[in-house]
Amino acid sequence: MVNAIRKALLAIGLPAVLFAAWWLASAGSTSFYFPPLSAIIAEFGETWTAERWRDDVLPSVARLGAGYALSCIAGIALGVLIGRTRWLFRLTEPVLEFARAVPPPVLVPVIMLFAGIGDGMKVAVIVSGSVWPILLNTVAGVRSVEPVQLDTAAAYRLGRTRTLLEVVLPSASPRIVTGMRQALAIGVILMVISEMFAAQSGLGFAIVQFQRSYAIPAMWSGILLLGCLGAALAALFNVFDRAVLHWYHHQRAEEA
Amino acid sequence: MLEVAGIGRDYRVDGGTHTAVDSLSFQVAEGELVCIVGPSGCGKTTLLRMCAGLLAPTRGRALVDGREVDGPPEGTAVVFQEYGRSLFPWMRVGANVELPLKRLGLTRGERRNRVAEALRLVDLEGKERVWPWQLSGGMQQRVAIARAVAFRPRLLLMDEPFAAVDAQTRADLEDLIRDLWSRLGITVVFITHDIDESVYLGQRVLVLSSPPTTLRAEIHVDLGPDRDQLETRSGPAFAKLRAAVWREIQAAKRGGE
Ligand SMILES: Nc1ncnc2c1ncn2[C@@H]1O[C@H](COP(=O)(O)OP(=O)(O)O)[C@@H](O)[C@H]1O
Ligand SMILES: [Mg+2]
Repeated sequence: MVNAIRKALLAIGLPAVLFAAWWLASAGSTSFYFPPLSAIIAEFGETWTAERWRDDVLPSVARLGAGYALSCIAGIALGVLIGRTRWLFRLTEPVLEFARAVPPPVLVPVIMLFAGIGDGMKVAVIVSGSVWPILLNTVAGVRSVEPVQLDTAAAYRLGRTRTLLEVVLPSASPRIVTGMRQALAIGVILMVISEMFAAQSGLGFAIVQFQRSYAIPAMWSGILLLGCLGAALAALFNVFDRAVLHWYHHQRAEEA
Repeated sequence: MLEVAGIGRDYRVDGGTHTAVDSLSFQVAEGELVCIVGPSGCGKTTLLRMCAGLLAPTRGRALVDGREVDGPPEGTAVVFQEYGRSLFPWMRVGANVELPLKRLGLTRGERRNRVAEALRLVDLEGKERVWPWQLSGGMQQRVAIARAVAFRPRLLLMDEPFAAVDAQTRADLEDLIRDLWSRLGITVVFITHDIDESVYLGQRVLVLSSPPTTLRAEIHVDLGPDRDQLETRSGPAFAKLRAAVWREIQAAKRGGE
């Protein structure tokens, strides 16, 4: 109990300090571009009305959700296929190595060229960046299953499907979840960037609009909202991580 | 039950080939408990993996019930040396033991019963909800044995299952194997590098040579069905048998040089 409280305090400690520092440092600010935090927060309620949530925040989150879900499905499915098929792995290894090295946003203009500027484009942009960490980690995880475990599955004749679902995927799950965590961060970034280029709605679109119309406190409030969204998603992901990998974390704690 | 006919296996090692098992032939009858003993690196694991259908032989073949082994044969269970790693850490003990039963067309209740019974047999009654990594090495190996027992195999292959557990646990596990074997009437092939263990457990001991491995000797263990860690091991018959196995292994080592 005491431990849990201490953990919670540690978790919110640094953000709270930074927030306080921002508040104090900006308190007397008269700069047009760096308004006081108090002004930004006052603006927050004004700007993010129910209408804006419906027209900008929800579409953003929906695109992110769709892009992220697609990335997970495609990344895991392809990763299992490549990781379990020797010739396919040999064939794709150089490409995967290359893809790992390319920073995700460089693809944005290229994909816009092909996919147009609709929702599909934005989802495609998100997938184009998010799928890689999931794919690469799944391949690595699937390939590093303990040989004795595969022998056990084979000796008891578990069959392909059961071996995949009960042995290979759980064994690779710590790596897959690592990939999904990286993918989520990349997905949020790409969501905003794709909306900044060409869009009629979305968080990124709204922030750029505020900036262009010199509504600086509103712009800052948008950035603040983005930060909160990122933090909320990260917290949600931690819950997911602990639910799926509790055996893994427990085991590691036990062995340490 | 199990027949090995001229089986051999080469491994490719940087350009050349290394003959791990040259040519082995022997038979194991239904219901027998046979120990295979040989020095480290003589190809015991290789032999077991070929019998289990996990590794294709380079020469010869293994037959289970007269049928050539070209994949894991039905009704065969394997207990590996690396017990800790053969259990699935994402499943509790009960689920580990239950997994191979899932394709046997049993009802949930039947599976539960088999799991509970198998765990009772290995002295882990009621440990279904425990995680494997919360158990000691000896207990983990008992879970692996329970998994094999619950499966009710006709042929049980064991690869140095007790090599990494402490002496007391090991003695208990040896008695457990003899007990399970006589109770369940299954055929057991038990691989070990430990001479005493092979004599204490087996009805018959097959001694392997150093690589390239062949069958060096076959020794019948006439110690009777009831064995006791203290009495059996301290008797003159046991001493004579272990000396016989020991001599063969020494000769095998010299022959291999
Ligand atoms: N996958 C492999 N590739 C190459 N050599 C191997 C492989 N597995 C085993 N060997 C070699 O074959 C020999 C027999 O190994 P093994 O069957 O594990 O012996 P044992 O179980 O009796 O210790 C050893 O010399 C070992 O180095
Ligand atoms: Mg071995």
